Amino acid sequence: MPDNWGFVIAAYGLAAIVLIAYWRFLFRREKELDDARTVRQHLSQESGASEPLPAQTAQRGPLP
Amino acid sequence: MRRLLGGATLLGLAAGLVMGFVVAPRESTQGNVQRIMYLHVPSVWVAYLAFGVVLVASIVYLVRRAEAADQLAHASAEVGVLFTGLTIATGSIWGKPTWGTWWTWDARLTSVSILFVMYLGYLLLRGMIDDRERGARFAAVLGIVAAFNIPLVHFSVYWWRTLHQPPSLMKPGPGTMPGVIVAALLVNFAAFTLLYVYFVAKRARLLRLEAEAEA
Amino acid sequence: MVVVWKDLLVERRSKETLNALFFFGLLLLFVFQFALGPDRERLAGTLPGLLWLGFILSGLLGLGRTFVAERENDCLEGLLLAPGDKSAIYVGKLAGNLLLMLVIETILLVLFSFFFNLDIVGALPALSIVIALGTVALAAVGTLFSAMTAQVRARELLFPVLLLPVEAPVLLATVKATEAVLLGEPLGSVAHWLKLLAAADVVYVAVGVLTFDFVLEA
Repeated sequence: MPDNWGFVIAAYGLAAIVLIAYWRFLFRREKELDDARTVRQHLSQESGASEPLPAQTAQRGPLP
Repeated sequence: MRRLLGGATLLGLAAGLVMGFVVAPRESTQGNVQRIMYLHVPSVWVAYLAFGVVLVASIVYLVRRAEAADQLAHASAEVGVLFTGLTIATGSIWGKPTWGTWWTWDARLTSVSILFVMYLGYLLLRGMIDDRERGARFAAVLGIVAAFNIPLVHFSVYWWRTLHQPPSLMKPGPGTMPGVIVAALLVNFAAFTLLYVYFVAKRARLLRLEAEAEA
Repeated sequence: MVVVWKDLLVERRSKETLNALFFFGLLLLFVFQFALGPDRERLAGTLPGLLWLGFILSGLLGLGRTFVAERENDCLEGLLLAPGDKSAIYVGKLAGNLLLMLVIETILLVLFSFFFNLDIVGALPALSIVIALGTVALAAVGTLFSAMTAQVRARELLFPVLLLPVEAPVLLATVKATEAVLLGEPLGSVAHWLKLLAAADVVYVAVGVLTFDFVLEA
């Protein structure tokens, strides 16, 4: 029987393309979501840090 | 932890390739085309594994309403469909030089195709429901129905193709394969299983991140 | 009690559905005839398949409408919020659908034997068993999926897409069994197909009963 390497390469090539493409999709999406999550965390940290300031200025008010 | 898994997966796949191309001998009746089996058979195995996980995760979700179970089911179904598609494609590519035709309604290709369409429908259902909780519930029910359908598909298609028909179209059974080929298959089984776990873990994590982002 | 009420509701609705499905069946016959041409031999060979194709296509239409009345009259919310065991609703709807399907199939069978000159009298008892087994499988999953897709976008598309692959083994089994029966072979020769159908029936109804609660949750 002839060896038909062309078909073997086609099969393995197709598998490689599909699996690598899926892996890249997963990788890229994960990076997107991780970045978005870090941004969200920074935002919530900032809004948390800015809260004590109005209370301090309110306390200093009647003194001077 | 995931790095370790990823590394192990790559190692496994490399080992699989080596086994499939270097260690395993040229098969006597089919020639080197038979090497496609080292892709095709493990893919089927992963597909069935994936859909089995979908069944278990679906039941767990319905009973305990754990979001993680739903995410696992979704991820596993997606990866399962991926590998089912791969099974069909590699089977078809193998079939052309072996049987002379791209497609044939033999037992394996037919039942795997039905599987493919069933779980594609599962993904479609998920895509069409906006309500997260309802989507999870319905998908779980569908996942259970589909899984119970698998043995029915199997038997019906097998009987449809082999009864009253000479089994000339059947692929060579595993019983008569030489040890080296079996070993190569097993290595590829392991490699593909690792790949499945890696993909599902990543995909489920993505789903969890997406859910968090929406909250 | 709820089940009986559901059934009555179904009967009232089914009159219009029945008429439409009857005409649909008739049209299918014409379509089959045109598609397969005047070659009598070829047609005869495919008759079992065509018969079940007719059943399934009618089923897609008929079963898909299981919850249409509820949806159109905004009763779906009411169903979802109703307390108690929702499985009773499933059984009621299933019974109604079974009745509907069996009526349609009888009509189709009569039309088929008339137009395609099929002698079914001798095979009738055996044929009835095959049809009954297949119809339960169709209706069981159809009722469940109909409830699911009723609450979803693009329901007319999704329902067939979900139902057909699941019913593929049932279709294989029923066509093979019908083939044998119409050739005059005894039921015993297709016992394996019948067992498969029976197994499918049990599994599908059980899954339907057990999961319907989850489908009709508020």
